[in-house]
Amino acid sequence: MYKIGEIVSNRCLKGDYFQAVFYHPEIAVKAIAGQFVHVQITQMSANILRRPFSINNTDPEAGTVQITYKVVGSGTEVLSKLAPGAVCDLLGPLGNGYKMPADDEIPVMIAGGYGTAAMFMISKLAKNKGMLLVGARGDADLILLEDYQAQGTEVKVATNDGSVGTQGFVTVLLEDLLKNPEPGKKYRFYACGPTPMLMAAGKMLCAAGRADGELSLDHVMCCGVGACFACVVKVKDGDTFRYARSCSEGPVFTAGEVYYEN
Amino acid sequence: MKIDMSVDLGKFKLKNPVMTASGTFGYGYEYNQLYDISRLGAVVVKGIAPFVSNGNPTPRVAETASGMLNAIGLQGPGVDKFLHGDHYMPFLRTTGATVIVNIWGKSIADYCEVARRMDEEPEGITALEVNISCPNVKAGGVAFGTDTKLLNEVISAVRKSTTLPLIVKLSPNVTKIGDFAKAAEDAGADAVYLINTLTGMAINAETRKPKIANLTGGLSGPAVKPVALRMVYEASKAVTIPVIGMGGICNGIDAVEFMLAGAKAVAVGTATFADPYAPLKVIDGIEDYLKRHNFKSVSEIVGALEI
Ligand SMILES: Cc1cc2nc3c(=O)[nH]c(=O)nc-3n(C[C@H](O)[C@H](O)[C@H](O)COP(=O)(O)OP(=O)(O)OC[C@H]3O[C@@H](n4cnc5c(N)ncnc54)[C@H](O)[C@@H]3O)c2cc1C
Ligand SMILES: Cc1cc2nc3c(=O)[nH]c(=O)nc-3n(C[C@H](O)[C@H](O)[C@H](O)COP(=O)(O)O)c2cc1C
Ligand code: FES
Repeated sequence: MYKIGEIVSNRCLKGDYFQAVFYHPEIAVKAIAGQFVHVQITQMSANILRRPFSINNTDPEAGTVQITYKVVGSGTEVLSKLAPGAVCDLLGPLGNGYKMPADDEIPVMIAGGYGTAAMFMISKLAKNKGMLLVGARGDADLILLEDYQAQGTEVKVATNDGSVGTQGFVTVLLEDLLKNPEPGKKYRFYACGPTPMLMAAGKMLCAAGRADGELSLDHVMCCGVGACFACVVKVKDGDTFRYARSCSEGPVFTAGEVYYEN
Repeated sequence: MKIDMSVDLGKFKLKNPVMTASGTFGYGYEYNQLYDISRLGAVVVKGIAPFVSNGNPTPRVAETASGMLNAIGLQGPGVDKFLHGDHYMPFLRTTGATVIVNIWGKSIADYCEVARRMDEEPEGITALEVNISCPNVKAGGVAFGTDTKLLNEVISAVRKSTTLPLIVKLSPNVTKIGDFAKAAEDAGADAVYLINTLTGMAINAETRKPKIANLTGGLSGPAVKPVALRMVYEASKAVTIPVIGMGGICNGIDAVEFMLAGAKAVAVGTATFADPYAPLKVIDGIEDYLKRHNFKSVSEIVGALEI
């Protein structure tokens, strides 16, 4: 029997990308697509803040929660070295999550960075397995594509260096789809990735009359529950903006709600 | 035998000495999703001004060794929404929690205005905590907390605007903290509360940029505890009104140290980010210490430092 928060497995996917599975039945049962867990890596004594990670997948029956993460600093470095049996403290599921597509809608997931991890549950739970448009610098940053393909999601890739798929940003793929949709098909748009990508995709969706597209905006977090106002992002408020807490009011906002700088 | 955990702060009493630190516990609503917040000695809500306040640009926080810097900039809903909005005071009244409202402004008139508004609708409000020490707002804020004359002016004026008990939250960014505690007492404060955050900086060497947009921020967490303890000790020697201590408290023993140094009550801030249940664990930890040392009531350890 595992302890709550115990690491069941933790392995390198490729390069700097790792995948950890935690035992946490409560989160496994409750989590919906687009929510996150706030992980206290108790093994780091001088670091007082938790680290947020999108819920990549859950297995409600086994009571497990999976995250996929990139090593970028001290916390993710320590996490990547933890062996099964180590215990972390998980808070969650947190955040509002994505609204699932209707049965006759095709989810279009626009991803960069760890976005492929954050949106996986959409296609897993949706009737139509939809389409993943993914952008990356090069092959080293393309992760989880096989997981999508294995369940029947169509995957289209854009890379900056043109080494895989189309050359350019993921917005090239989005623009193409918005201009040439398949007749008679109903799409629903979702995005998660680096902020510049989300801003570009959000503007494009609004211009195409799809302000209902959902973007997962996130910022460096502290409490994770809406109490400290550290994680704020700009959302429209009349002609100007207000700061909304990405942890509790988000991380998912519609493209129409987001405030674009210029 | 049951230990008496209640504390008497002169104008008001708390069921136990553990409060939450303003700005780290939202408006109580957020953590009440996790546990019953009425178990706490008091819930101190995030700063309320007479106006809606947007706060600072992002990034607003950076982790540092055993601590963190923040420059949230007092984002807040303003007094109207606080008194009448769904997740604010009307909600808090339903929880039965002891509520202390932290107030701030950019001018003396602002401070008086919020105090007066709370005075008009005091139901469920146990005391006001006057924040004259936020290092992260340019106008007002810290200016009042680092000049004893200005401190006296603002607190005397607020004193005339409300009959609610007044707690003055002191800035640690001064040379002689005792003088400021005394100035607050002389101006009519019912208690002093310290420390607010220590001004600091964090730099990303790779990008050669500050880690927080405001350039400077307030340091909190375990890193500040020794400084906070010394200041609480000095303040408690300078005044006869109760001193409430905070700065880096993570567990019951940390809290006991503050009480030994002279604090009648304590508050938990940054530790709540690491563990949302930290304030409750601090209550249990104090009780455990008292049992181990055969004390009958928590007030017995206040100022009991043996030198
Ligand atoms: C809602 C949410 C979901 C996330 N999901 C994932 C995920 O599924 N997979 C994944 O790999 N990462 C995810 N992140 C980012 C992840 O939280 C950070 O990479 C992690 O906290 C870095 O910790 P560290 O100690 O290794 O790095 P640190 O030493 O703290 O920082 C190293 C670098 O990471 C950046 N960073 C720190 N915190 C964040 C943050 N919260 N968001 C973005 N950048 C940050 C810092 O600016 C710095 O450049 C998510 C962030 C949020 C807010
Ligand atoms: C994110 C954050 C926000 C804060 N906001 C406020 C605030 O709005 N008003 C205030 O008086 N103090 C504020 N503080 C200061 C705390 O109330 C407290 O004085 C300080 O953090 C020291 O205690 P700690 O080390 O236990 O956190 C804030 C602190 C943090 C970390
Ligand atoms: S991280 Fe504290 S409000 Fe979002």
